[in-house]
Amino acid sequence: MLKVENLYKNFGKVNAVDGVSFEVKKGDVFGLLGPNGAGKSTTISMISTLLAPSSGEILYDGKSIFDNQKSVRQRLGVVPQEIALYPTLSGYENLRFWGSIYGLKGDELKKRIDEVSDIIELNGRLKDRVDKYSGGMKRRLNIGAALLHMPEMLIMDEPTVGIDPQSRNHILDTVLKLNNQGITIIYTSHYMEEVEYLCNKVCIMDEGKIIASGSQDELVEMIREKTQINVRLNRVDAMISERLKEIKGVSDARISDDTVVLHGENADTLLADIALKVSENGMFIKSIDVKKPNLEAVFLHLTGKALRD
Amino acid sequence: MLSIIIKDLRTILSDKHAVAIIIIMPLILMTILSFALKSSFSDGDYFDEGVKIAVVKLYDGEEDSRMFDETLRNGIFSKNMGEETITELGDSSRDVDPEKIFFEEFLGSDEVSKIISYQVEDEKTAMELLDKKEVSAVVTLPEKFVYDMKVNLVTPFRNNVDIKVEVHPDKSIEGVVVKSVMESYSSAIASVIIGKNVIIEEAMANGVGELKNLDIVMEELTNVLEHMDIEIKDVVVEERKSITSADYYAAAMMSMFILFSAGHGGRMLLEEKENKTYGRMIMAGTSKFSILSGKFVVVLLLCSIQITIMIIYSHFALKVQWGSIVNTAIISAAAAFAVAGLGAFIASATFRAGNFKLANTFESAIIQGMALLGGSFFPVDVMPKAIQNLSFLSLNGLALKSYIKVMTGYGLNDVIKNVAALGLIGIVFLILSVAILSGKEEHYVKHNKVKTVKA
Repeated sequence: MLKVENLYKNFGKVNAVDGVSFEVKKGDVFGLLGPNGAGKSTTISMISTLLAPSSGEILYDGKSIFDNQKSVRQRLGVVPQEIALYPTLSGYENLRFWGSIYGLKGDELKKRIDEVSDIIELNGRLKDRVDKYSGGMKRRLNIGAALLHMPEMLIMDEPTVGIDPQSRNHILDTVLKLNNQGITIIYTSHYMEEVEYLCNKVCIMDEGKIIASGSQDELVEMIREKTQINVRLNRVDAMISERLKEIKGVSDARISDDTVVLHGENADTLLADIALKVSENGMFIKSIDVKKPNLEAVFLHLTGKALRD
Repeated sequence: MLSIIIKDLRTILSDKHAVAIIIIMPLILMTILSFALKSSFSDGDYFDEGVKIAVVKLYDGEEDSRMFDETLRNGIFSKNMGEETITELGDSSRDVDPEKIFFEEFLGSDEVSKIISYQVEDEKTAMELLDKKEVSAVVTLPEKFVYDMKVNLVTPFRNNVDIKVEVHPDKSIEGVVVKSVMESYSSAIASVIIGKNVIIEEAMANGVGELKNLDIVMEELTNVLEHMDIEIKDVVVEERKSITSADYYAAAMMSMFILFSAGHGGRMLLEEKENKTYGRMIMAGTSKFSILSGKFVVVLLLCSIQITIMIIYSHFALKVQWGSIVNTAIISAAAAFAVAGLGAFIASATFRAGNFKLANTFESAIIQGMALLGGSFFPVDVMPKAIQNLSFLSLNGLALKSYIKVMTGYGLNDVIKNVAALGLIGIVFLILSVAILSGKEEHYVKHNKVKTVKA
């Protein structure tokens, strides 16, 4: 559906986007993950036709988006990172304006406003001025404004920045709901957990480049890191670490204070064996903490820095 | 574009601060100033200085008098007169001074001097003053004026005295006044000449041979001149109504406050950019020129709304008579167009600059300067000459002059140059705004902040 090939964007000497390539297929929730300044928004701006690339190509259904801007813009919905709304107008007036900008009018426009306000759950507050809305409500309206013309693909640039957890959850659920309705999503975020929750495909960007891409499993597999299980005991001795190492699937065990730190594969099956071994040695477990490898770990592994640096 | 216009209009009208400045404030100010400065605008005071004219003398007074004396002795009208009579007539004719009659007894009379002030100039200077509109008309006294007038006033003969009046095309009302005054002069002189002729001819017909009663004749002549009735007031009343403080400040405040619409319109494009709605509209396929056109039309509509409200309010609340509705509407359309062009220019320049300095400077300083130069605070006529000379720089000044002229009874022809100038200003600013916005732009994305930079 969307193919980005060898995309570059330079601002003077700054390479904001440095040879990015990826493909989004119909029905995907495609995540662009990376820290602030990674080049995600620049990439999104080029896909949205707001910005021309220095070089490279972006194809939508096999055709260059820059040769077919008008048609592509009608098929894309873009949710900008900032709240791009008119604060002194009501929610309804905003939706009506953005709908009319996409050529909707009359009954069709009213119908779409009703449908979209259902999706973003703002029906009861549409008559209020936007500057009276909470941050979460503004974010939802910001999304709604991009849905009025029923786009095939929705591009969302950090849509949950600066809002409370409840509003964030609502937006994430809305994204999944829209995807279930058949809308392909491109979702950029520097929140790893959002991308993990939403996306079936992920590109990790840093300093203008894609440093890894694939499904979440593929990315985790790429770093070959194993699950870490921290077992806190009532007492520890050297013997217990040796006994736990004997469990099939455990690759490593070491003592740290009152905790034995294990690494292994398939934590779910290991937990029963660990509990049995501890009991056999006359000890009992005070707590167990299982840490599965995630995209944060992938990013840390690939760049040597945390995602939120 | 209609949806952009509706949205922009709603946006401005939803801003209570903006509504207060562009609509409520001028209504309050025009009301206060109308009452506060009422005493400064008595009937006709707007033209306190009267109609200025230049008088050109094409004659040589001394040469004319010498020639008259000579003609009196040798010419045809000394036939049948004895030497003593000729001498007596010559002596008496010296008491008849056509220059004194014209300049002191006529132009210097209380009646005329209230209306007309004059300066004597040579022909070239007078025409230059007329071109510069420093005088409204040039009155040319012909060659042999003194000679011909003496012939007319002292002898039974009558020579044609053709006093020429040239009027500046922009000063047609003043021209009517000057021509009327000169006609009054001519008819007064004519009536005196007829009366004098009757007396002289009667004396000669009775075979007196000597004009013993000539002194009485001359005395009668002076009496007639002194009591010459020049009906100037009627001319003025018919053609021009005087301006009251309410008339003046209704037009002055309106002309000034429509400029604030340009200021508000000028902010809108950059506000769109800062609200990120500009980029969103571009992404939706709207061209930046459609967005700019929206701002232009919105300022145009806003000005029209302002003007309509202010004219209706001032008419009913302050009893302002705006004159011809059609002419007022034409001036208003031209003024609104000029302001809309200016608004579009400020919008483009502010957008390109990426800050509101220009729009702020325009609202806080430039509008005040234009208001001062254009006469929105005080009539330009009472300002120093230097400021008067700069008044052409003010868009509001052009509008104000036009409104005042229409209020005082001038026609469209008298304001058409101002209307055309306003239209031209609008077009020039509109072209400039498109040129400024035509430059390429790029959106520099850094650390989740989108900044627009000029390429």
